[in-house]
Amino acid sequence: MADNKEKPGTPSPGRRNFLRDSTLITALSLTPGAVLKAASEKADERFAELFEKIPLRLTVNGQAHALSVEPRVTLLDLLREQLKLTGTKKGCDHGQCGACTVHVDGERVNSCLSLAVMNEGKEVTTIEGLAREGELHPMQAAFIKHDGFQCGYCTPGQIMSAIACIREGHARTRDEIREYMSGNICRCGAYPHIVDAIEEVQKTGGKI
Amino acid sequence: MINFQYLRAGSTEKALALLAKDKNASFIAGGTNLVDLMKKGVSSPDKLIDINKLPLKDISLEEGHIHIGALASNAAVADHALIREKLPLLSMALNKGASAQLRNMATVGGNLMQRTRCGYFYDITMPCNKRKPGSGCGALEGYNRMHAIFGHSENCIAVHPSDMCVALAALDAVVVIGQPNGERRIALSEFHRLPGKTPQLDNNLKANEIILGVEVPLNTYGRHVQYLKVRDRSSYAFALVSVAAALELDGNRIREVRLALGGVAHKPWRLTATEAFLRGREFDPALIREAANRSVAEARAFKHNKFKITLAAESIVQALSEASQQS
Amino acid sequence: MSEKFLFPDDTDRVDGVAKVTGKARYFAEFDLPGLTYAVLVTSSITKGRITQLNTRNAARAPGVLAVVSHLNRPVTAGYESKEGPAMRIFYTDRIFFNGQPVAMVVADTFERATHAASLVEVGYEKEAFNTDFDGSLDQVKKPKNPAQGAYQRGEADAYKQAAVSVEATYTLPVETHNPMELHGILAFWNAADKLTVYAKTQGVKATQGTLARTFGLPAENVQVFSEFVGGGFGMALRTWPLEIGTVMAAKLVGRPVKLVITRDQMFTMVGNRPAAWQKIGLGASRNGRLTGITHHSLAQSSVYEDFMENITGMSKFMYGCENVNTTSGIVPLDLSVPIWMRGPGEATGAFALESAIDELAFKLNMDPLDFRVLNDPETDLEKNKPFSDKNLKEAYKRGAQAIGWKNRVQRPAQLTEGDWQIGYGVSTGVFGAFRRSATVRAVLNADGSLVLQSAASDIGPGTATGMVRIAAGVLGIPASSITFELGDSSLPPAPSQGGSSTLSTVGAAVNDVCLQLLGNLKELAVNAGLKADAPFADILKKNNLPYVEVTKESKGGAEQAKYSMYSFSIHFVQVKVHRRTGVVKVSRIVSVGDAGKIVSPKTAKSQMVGGAVGGMGMALTEEAVLDSRYGRYINNNFGDYHVPVNADVPDIEVIFIDKPDPHINPMGAKGMGEIALTGFSAAVANAVFNATGKRIRSLPITPDKVLQETAGV
Repeated sequence: MADNKEKPGTPSPGRRNFLRDSTLITALSLTPGAVLKAASEKADERFAELFEKIPLRLTVNGQAHALSVEPRVTLLDLLREQLKLTGTKKGCDHGQCGACTVHVDGERVNSCLSLAVMNEGKEVTTIEGLAREGELHPMQAAFIKHDGFQCGYCTPGQIMSAIACIREGHARTRDEIREYMSGNICRCGAYPHIVDAIEEVQKTGGKI
Repeated sequence: MINFQYLRAGSTEKALALLAKDKNASFIAGGTNLVDLMKKGVSSPDKLIDINKLPLKDISLEEGHIHIGALASNAAVADHALIREKLPLLSMALNKGASAQLRNMATVGGNLMQRTRCGYFYDITMPCNKRKPGSGCGALEGYNRMHAIFGHSENCIAVHPSDMCVALAALDAVVVIGQPNGERRIALSEFHRLPGKTPQLDNNLKANEIILGVEVPLNTYGRHVQYLKVRDRSSYAFALVSVAAALELDGNRIREVRLALGGVAHKPWRLTATEAFLRGREFDPALIREAANRSVAEARAFKHNKFKITLAAESIVQALSEASQQS
Repeated sequence: MSEKFLFPDDTDRVDGVAKVTGKARYFAEFDLPGLTYAVLVTSSITKGRITQLNTRNAARAPGVLAVVSHLNRPVTAGYESKEGPAMRIFYTDRIFFNGQPVAMVVADTFERATHAASLVEVGYEKEAFNTDFDGSLDQVKKPKNPAQGAYQRGEADAYKQAAVSVEATYTLPVETHNPMELHGILAFWNAADKLTVYAKTQGVKATQGTLARTFGLPAENVQVFSEFVGGGFGMALRTWPLEIGTVMAAKLVGRPVKLVITRDQMFTMVGNRPAAWQKIGLGASRNGRLTGITHHSLAQSSVYEDFMENITGMSKFMYGCENVNTTSGIVPLDLSVPIWMRGPGEATGAFALESAIDELAFKLNMDPLDFRVLNDPETDLEKNKPFSDKNLKEAYKRGAQAIGWKNRVQRPAQLTEGDWQIGYGVSTGVFGAFRRSATVRAVLNADGSLVLQSAASDIGPGTATGMVRIAAGVLGIPASSITFELGDSSLPPAPSQGGSSTLSTVGAAVNDVCLQLLGNLKELAVNAGLKADAPFADILKKNNLPYVEVTKESKGGAEQAKYSMYSFSIHFVQVKVHRRTGVVKVSRIVSVGDAGKIVSPKTAKSQMVGGAVGGMGMALTEEAVLDSRYGRYINNNFGDYHVPVNADVPDIEVIFIDKPDPHINPMGAKGMGEIALTGFSAAVANAVFNATGKRIRSLPITPDKVLQETAGV
């Protein structure tokens, strides 16, 4: 049979259109020889790093960060791999499981589908930012009390989502909790206990 | 993922100017679909233009219609008091799409631009005319349980995945589009395309255009609306079939009706002939059944999705019945 | 014996705080100096050879340290051996399945590794292949061990002569474990002959052994850490090729290498529950006595390695029937090898058997519950031994009461609620109860705190919680003063966490080591002139000891030969089926566990609840769909492979019989991980039949199947 060459995901040879772009001027002024050589060899990845990182300021769990990141870095990977906040989990990396749920400016989002650079100036809260002065957040305590998990891997995302669910006003009944918590998959199947925990925190009516 | 260039646009004019400079540039708003596609290697833009700073988030009551900005999040629209009161069908449809997290991120404009969930489109080793024109349609003779029963071509049998658009189609929404030198408006039901010979084109948005928002006319359906979504699990799943139904009843007489189907075609499938058939008649089960049967008379199914024809008809009956009983 | 056990009050999970605060660290979350990231390049063909592997562009991409493949992998003594499976990562140019790893790119960041992996160009020579299970049922490979293949007692096919009989075929698709945590490994060579890995494994000792053999190292030179595992369900019961490949890469680059595979790779690289075809024949006398059970099974396997599970097991002993014959076979395909998944074999078999039991009961016009009670055997007719402990009649009764079984109508399609048809279903589940060998070290410190150590693993059921409770019960000290350490291969040996045996095996060893510790302490107390029951801290102080340490191996004995040991479950469900759309909703669940003494009620309940949810997925939504023209999965993601979400799941009532098994181990406790799921899918199918008169014999029961099936009554 004939050879079947595959180049999965390979961009077109002319992909690096930024070679023609204004940013090229910056790059040329830095290292013209290297750029031209790389361009002719189609090895432009080599010097891409020279100018592809961009500045990013954001606040995570109350701490301000001034970073320099590649645009392709997701908020999830920034948290886990660069800021070492590994409480936020990678479960699918495609917005289909909710393990990566964090709060951005108070709203729950899938951090795996959010490019880090799109969060310029925003406030991010992760599971590590919930407990204050050694006290568990009421939702964390409720998850323990009702055993709302087994392996624990989806748990940080569940808890971040659960807090938002109450704040949004979407936790008025058990069925509403079920519906509005359906973006967080738990393969261990702790759902009924997760609903118990959220219902209890919702009923106490305190500010969470 | 390739390391694309990332730029932020502060105004619509700037966004369009940046877009015009590069054929392989793309706008990014919520990112829920585009980042996914980029990770799978389906989309590889050189340049992303972040449009989140554009002032397009407003939801407002205008003369005869409600305006929804392109950057309003799906959650903001679904939960907005104006939408819940005046366009409950839209609120219902939005809340049946994706998850709470994704709805917080995803925008109205992005939802309009959402690409198909066809597995052959998403797997870059498979043939797909939409992703790679001329490579063939993997689904045609493959696993096509989720695929179209209306409006398909031999080139593509994929379906449009949006719930929001189905409701908007039923509600006669208009898409407001920004161009380098002005604006244009296009009916939502004309915004998306059928695959024909050019399945790579999902819609009629031109390369130098931007979605500014949608306008939804005020209507007289009140609470007599229903968005029924039949899916493989109770939530967080794409539709097998969905129905947006809206009725204006005068006693038992159907004064006005809107019907659109989701999960059955390359675009939201508005049932204008069925609407005409029902208009002015007395609402009764036999009539509804007849209307449902007429609605699917032209459907053509494939190996694994024959059930969709029955399901679509049954869902129309169910949605119209429920819409008529809402109060 | 068990009666002596004083279990403390219900306690929370001992690792709960770590899990809810994000402090629990899973394998990918250890930050070693110089950490690098690996990304796999996978085959896009199903069978053939790699003819060209162009890594030039990938190797030149920024941050890339190495591109590992069969062309340049490091030579390792154990890996070159002729024995072992034909499919080994980066071994030759052979392709055995679509999605097989063909190269691994290692770079300094995840993003750079991911992009560079897309730059690797692979050329292939394709060969004809077969990945079509349904179309290959005539291509059966008989198992090497004949005992695995066929069983008979009494007459074969006796059902055919029975007064009343049923015969039907049942099918299950491929299911994937898909724990929330993605698979992978973090590997680091501390020295040329010393390896450390942070793994996702259900057995740290098993992983240690495999890596030691593969890389030709003494076992003690391989250190495996795996304290927290984000779910396993069986998929982490072996060391997969991708793990070996990462260890190779770490050797090549001389730095720590971390690989986390993608969700779509979870469908092809770490096993699955194989697709299965089953034919069952059942016969009974008119008064409802089973007179014949025939059960044939075929399941998918791979061409490069046989995988076979015990699908027909339950048919051999569950019911009192003199005539039973079963056969089992596998169908090797050009796909990656399956592996045990929660309730392996039994969950597949129970769907067919327990559906068929329901069908036969219906034909007899008997309540399926009465039919089961009538045929509940006193002894295990397969092994010809008494059951060590079985309380099924009580379990049926209590479950029936809880679900309101009296509201069920024998004739299908009688109950409605608006547009929904209501039905009730029941099914039995079973899994062997085992006790293997484990060693536990106990260290009692001067302050009275106790540390227990064993190289056990925990994928979520609450292993440490159970162990702490057992120790607290034996020693009479608060659970809060006890720590159980696991997930470290340097600790005393324990078996892998699989087959519902951890609590029985390691728990018994905890019991035994604590008893010995107690004995030693009494001796020390008396020698020092204290009362035998003096506080432990006083005893150590008086003896001037900083700590007392005891290590003890413990395993089952003659009782295992004398008795037939099983855990049982009964699942009751109420379903609602939409009369127009065919949508099935499970509206109520009562699961009864008959698994001996319950050591940790809170975590035990969670296990039963989780099993029911897994069973719902099996029954209603889960199916890995393969396009056999390409040998690739079409729905290899969490958006299209539907595991249950919160909105699918009703409140679940769990009932435990909670009577100690007098023979299995000192606690009288048996495993529950498998029975929590086993049989559940049949309960749903039976309830759907009761609701609609439609008998669906092919899982999952999706709306299209309900719509297209015609009512049989």
